[in-house]
Amino acid sequence: MTHLASRRRGPLCRILLTALPLLVVIGFSTAVRAEEAPGFTDSLFQSAKASKAVDSVLAVKVGDPMPDFDLPTIDGGRVRLSDYKGGKKLVLSFIPAAWTPVCSGQWPGYNIARELFNAANAELVGISVDNTPSQHAWVTQMGGLWFPVASDFWPHGGLSGRLGILRPEGVAERALFIVDEKGVIRYIDVHDINTRPDLGELITALRAIKD
Amino acid sequence: MKTTMWVLVLAALAMWSAPAWAGGASEAAGSEPLPVGAAFPDVSLGMDLSPEHRTYLGIAKKDGPVRLADMTAPVVILEVFSMYCPHCQREAPAVNNLYALLASGGHADTVKMLGIGAGNSAMEVELFRAKFDIRFPLVADQNFAVHDACGKVGTPYFYVLAKKPGETAYTVVLSRLGRMDSPESFAADVLAAAP
Repeated sequence: MTHLASRRRGPLCRILLTALPLLVVIGFSTAVRAEEAPGFTDSLFQSAKASKAVDSVLAVKVGDPMPDFDLPTIDGGRVRLSDYKGGKKLVLSFIPAAWTPVCSGQWPGYNIARELFNAANAELVGISVDNTPSQHAWVTQMGGLWFPVASDFWPHGGLSGRLGILRPEGVAERALFIVDEKGVIRYIDVHDINTRPDLGELITALRAIKD
Repeated sequence: MKTTMWVLVLAALAMWSAPAWAGGASEAAGSEPLPVGAAFPDVSLGMDLSPEHRTYLGIAKKDGPVRLADMTAPVVILEVFSMYCPHCQREAPAVNNLYALLASGGHADTVKMLGIGAGNSAMEVELFRAKFDIRFPLVADQNFAVHDACGKVGTPYFYVLAKKPGETAYTVVLSRLGRMDSPESFAADVLAAAP
């Protein structure tokens, strides 16, 4: 390009030339970011075969006191039975494992049902035997949850084992417990691990519990 | 220099548009979506549709169980969704916008919208409807019967169906997994695809 030609460049041309490096950089960075972040679905572990529906024996029954527990949560806090006793009902949702399809579909549903739990004077706690950092990564990629997610990782499956919902392969059952304000277990659903429980049934059970 | 400039412009544009626009979806294992041109099965829409929704669907006089073939609208946008699918939750305001766009564009009588809650109980569907104030009818498909019949698709999945006067069955004219690019562009695609 000659000196003369460059002088003839119009203002539009000059703006474009100035903006080009920026456009290219932005274009590149968007493309790279998209490659680095596979979709949530792509990150899930797909098991080749269905698991045995239930593979443990319950150690508690409706009417029993909920065993005390004190577990770490992904926000850096802890959940204890004593935090709820005397004030609110507690729903414990045990899921077998982070990063698996059915579990990854269950809590996002609960995530839009906060008002229903509130209306029943209940708090929800999600629990799995995964370590806290794994749970944190999973829940973050899910887009976040309003309820605490607690880890029953160490001693491994401590609470799950006391409830009798720890499977031989070391994961918890897909199980729901409702504990009333006095700390008494009022509802237990140890569900087929391969299917998602109906949230409608849980909410109906929650509403049916009167003092 | 000019050539270089244009190459750079094109490269920047290409990279900008590349990652876009695969819409978010919860994919389903073993999914076999019905292609454009396929007859859509005459699925059951249950018996729980409200009087308002029956009126909207053009079946106000029909009591009891409803099937897709009872509808006479020339075009139906059928969204397969799940209350549990985060992409469907994020898409809810957009499908409401689509519904409003069709109404304001004068298409409310000819293009109907219908949601199928794959694997969702009636209460789960109701929770989704109330949470996002969905205006068009949503139908529970708790045992996945409709979901199985229409190809075990991921969610959200958009089927656009059309039929001519006198025909019973609907034919697929658009078949698409994932969130819309925008309600406006999707509405334009629907109107272009409808015969």
